[in-house]
Amino acid sequence: MSVPLTALLLRRITLRHWRTAPKQSALLVLILSLGVAVFVSIRLANHAAVASFSNFTDTLTGQSDWIIQAPAGTLPESVLPELREALGTRPVHIIPIVEATASTPPAPGAENRFGRPTYTLLGVDLLSVVNLARPQDKPFYGQGGDALTGAVPTEGTEGFWDAVKTTPWVWISRDFAPVLPATLDLVIDETVRTLPVAGVIPTAPDAPRAPPHLFIFDLARLQELTGKTGRVDRVEFLVEAGPRIAERRAELQPILEKLGRSGERWIVTAPGARRDAAETMTRAFRLNLTILSLIALLVGLYLIFQALDGAVVRRRPEIAILRSLGVEESTIRRSWLAESAILGLFGGALGLLLGWAGAQISVRAVGQTVNALYYTTTVSSANLTPVEIGIGLGLGLVTALIAGWWPAREAARTPPAQVLQRGAAPAAGHRMMRSFVLGAACVLAGLAFTRLPPLHFAGGSRFPLAGYAAAFLWIFGAGILCAFLLPPLARAGRGLGRRSAAVRVALGHLRKPSGRHRLAAAALLCAIGMTAGMAILVASFEQTMQGWVRRTLQADLYISSSGAQSASSQNRISASAAKALAEHPAVAHAAMLAAYPVEIDRIATLLSGVDLGDPATRPNLPWIAAPAADDPVFSPSHNGSRALVSETFTARFGLGRGDTVRVPTPSGTREVVIAGVFADYGNERGSILIDRQQVSAWFSDETVTNVSLYVKPGVDPDTLRAELARRYPGLSLFTNARLRDEVLRIFRQTFSITYALEVIGVVVAVTGLGLTLVSVLLDRREELTTLRALGFQRREIALASSIEGLAVSLCAAAGGLVLSLALGWLLIHVINKQSFGWTLSYALPRGQLLALALAVSATGWIVSYCVGLWGADLPADREE
Amino acid sequence: MPHATTTVLQAEAVTKNYGARRVLDAVSFSVAAGERVALTGPSGSGKTTLLNCLGGVDRPDSGGITLHDLRIDRLDSDGLARLRRERVGTVFQFFHLLPTLSAAENIELPLQLVGLSAVERAERVDHFLKRVGLVHRAEALPSQLSGGEQQRIAIARALVHRPDLILADEPTGNLDSANGANILALLRELTDETRTALVLVTHSEEAAAICHRRINLRDGRVSHVS
Repeated sequence: MSVPLTALLLRRITLRHWRTAPKQSALLVLILSLGVAVFVSIRLANHAAVASFSNFTDTLTGQSDWIIQAPAGTLPESVLPELREALGTRPVHIIPIVEATASTPPAPGAENRFGRPTYTLLGVDLLSVVNLARPQDKPFYGQGGDALTGAVPTEGTEGFWDAVKTTPWVWISRDFAPVLPATLDLVIDETVRTLPVAGVIPTAPDAPRAPPHLFIFDLARLQELTGKTGRVDRVEFLVEAGPRIAERRAELQPILEKLGRSGERWIVTAPGARRDAAETMTRAFRLNLTILSLIALLVGLYLIFQALDGAVVRRRPEIAILRSLGVEESTIRRSWLAESAILGLFGGALGLLLGWAGAQISVRAVGQTVNALYYTTTVSSANLTPVEIGIGLGLGLVTALIAGWWPAREAARTPPAQVLQRGAAPAAGHRMMRSFVLGAACVLAGLAFTRLPPLHFAGGSRFPLAGYAAAFLWIFGAGILCAFLLPPLARAGRGLGRRSAAVRVALGHLRKPSGRHRLAAAALLCAIGMTAGMAILVASFEQTMQGWVRRTLQADLYISSSGAQSASSQNRISASAAKALAEHPAVAHAAMLAAYPVEIDRIATLLSGVDLGDPATRPNLPWIAAPAADDPVFSPSHNGSRALVSETFTARFGLGRGDTVRVPTPSGTREVVIAGVFADYGNERGSILIDRQQVSAWFSDETVTNVSLYVKPGVDPDTLRAELARRYPGLSLFTNARLRDEVLRIFRQTFSITYALEVIGVVVAVTGLGLTLVSVLLDRREELTTLRALGFQRREIALASSIEGLAVSLCAAAGGLVLSLALGWLLIHVINKQSFGWTLSYALPRGQLLALALAVSATGWIVSYCVGLWGADLPADREE
Repeated sequence: MPHATTTVLQAEAVTKNYGARRVLDAVSFSVAAGERVALTGPSGSGKTTLLNCLGGVDRPDSGGITLHDLRIDRLDSDGLARLRRERVGTVFQFFHLLPTLSAAENIELPLQLVGLSAVERAERVDHFLKRVGLVHRAEALPSQLSGGEQQRIAIARALVHRPDLILADEPTGNLDSANGANILALLRELTDETRTALVLVTHSEEAAAICHRRINLRDGRVSHVS
């Protein structure tokens, strides 16, 4: 019976109220939609960044069943006959893969910048792929017409294979360029190579289309190009279709595990493992970003709550009449909740659209960060899926229902026939928002939460749940406490009140702040506190990074392969080139680093060989726990079992100085003892430093990842750089100053998206302050009439409103700045430390914080003045 | 009756429509200094609309309203605000004290608007608090005052800046009969003392009885003057 009544109330009352105040309703929907939009756009961007990391072989072979790869380095080709023999006549295809990365040569004038697209080069045995006898593989040799340059034979297969065996042909994605080029220039290791394009990568019907940054080579050709002759990066296994395929697939795993000696020779993984690893690797980063994206929604929640609460107060006589006419409490509650739900659905729907649009921008920023810190991603757009649509609408709905629950309860509890007593003081707000004890208790509880450890995920990443809970408690507690600043502020301004009637009226309202004032202050404080807290984190990070860069970057020239453009690049410098660089007559010393990604206990980390023996080239590390001065780690002949590890490594693996680490290498597992711990802000996977000669012997590899040159006195690094750049066009050469600039540029780019999120949060909060004052003035229509009757002019009413807004803004700014100091500390010493394991020094960007507080206060003042002008014209006898 | 016949307020053919409905139809009358005039009539006869036009809160569609020598129907928004703060005092049925200001501060507010010095303001507030018998309630908030006390403060606020004209809309409509009688006596005393003209909208015979003249409105027209 009451459901149709609820619908009637919605139709006859709620919708009519919305029609009489369409702008206000639209503003509410907009605020909610902004919150949803920010969340959706970050979620879509995160998804796109992870989704773009795919197991590229899928595009070629369809989904393989098992993959084996060495725990460190590569596998020798000799494992292939061994595997074939072990598998006997089982119908399993063995597909060896070589994978490398490359980039295009820098454009003239852009040699000194990182961030060019990184391409994945995949070497597969094309003959064996074609032997899979699937129709989609035939185009590898059957292509003709405009897709080809005309150089690869298209008639028959014999000539085709002869050509493939002699020339490094490359197959590229159809999405790479609208018109396929005849050749492709790629930087592979230190060499720029011009490779003929053979055609487009064929697409299997059940496999994803080849991404634009994937290039396919014949296995042997890519082995030659990357210096991996006789070695493969991984081997994939494809069980032939047929009866009992699931069983046959399952039977394969223990055989491979046994042959791989349970991880000592190789690790057996399922095809989804690489994507899982990518997800795991970036989980903390994505979660942090997601939580940051909730600022606007949190602020929006405050504002919707107060808007609905305001509507209840204004419409209380109407509710009382309905109650006196016999409408039940539950129907009243339901109709208010339905109003919230409709608002939430509209907000969610608009938020989805705005979020999708925002994602097309944010996806690039997220992609850049993922590229710089984790792995190659070339994502450039994000798509809405039914799941995302459901989440967006659900978020809008849930937020609105949470915000509307209390006002709905208040509406339902309005006694029949109650009409507000005229001249009564404005509602002081919910008891919870007026409880100093609750505010203080939240702050103290937050303090206790900062002592709790993070959650641990598979793959070594951690999530500081308790840290975020502490942040929430502090934000909520500070929001409650903030309004307690208003009465003292009103008392302090009493002198001004004696001089101006408008000031007196404004201060009168602030002496006993209403629920509206409290909520507006809390929302604004939330936005300012979180924004300023992030500013402190970024400033602290930047200051620490600058110190770290100053200390660790001491050489005059830094050289790496020009193909190394992202955290997962594998491009290296050949031993001969490294030697030639070190022996250049202008060079006094050369320090080299050879880095290898390894997996310890299935957690990815980085093993680096560095020249620890020579004091002239030894890295100047910022110590967290320094080794003893006479530690053998610095003696080349005695340091074989000693290692230095980064702080992030100790956090990921739970190890410290004196502990033993089992390091996998192609020549077997090696045990090293941690001699010292250093700070490293270059990667969050952690790194182990061991003397380079030792690492080189373990990996039977003389190539290096980068070379640092110290020039002789009197040599101009720029001149030497120019000379070397001419001689090695495939190398990236940075002078000290340029590299420092580039490191800081990448650092700032990493944080660029956080600034956008904060700005949106503050905009929502200031808009909300305006909306709050609209609500306040609507509540006070009678008072406005009185003021007009007393002779108040429009500008005086506006002045009174602006003083209220300014006071709320000032209190929120003051409280927000204090909160930001605490949040900054929390972000630096708890959340960042638990997420990434980095120790940062605390820096206070005073100018930035002051500018933020002034900007918010000034904006709040102006918005309040404008709202006051609007309120001054509000008719007394008409409900808005 | 007032001792002199100086005209304070002159309404000439004041007409006001709300859409197609004519609320005031060529209403004309005048009020002399110190004179109390009751506007009576049934609900919907246009009493409150006329009062709003006299106070400059609403504008007539045609006709003229003159306060002393000032055509208030020709004033702009700021001019009307100045008129109200300097020359008009208003008493409402529901008191309409500012809920966040104390009794004394409510009385002081019009004085602040006209820019009186703090010393003078304090003197006048004190004087009027004494006159309405609420010195001991000076610091009380409106929510701490009874209905009668609130209306006394409202009357003090209406008179404190020495206006030429008091407009009172059902000042006893929300009070019991004893309090109502007290308020009427107070209004009579104070307007006599200050020689302020009073236009009083009322349904009450007792209220109308304190006035020198009674103007009865029906369907927006003056139906009877006594």
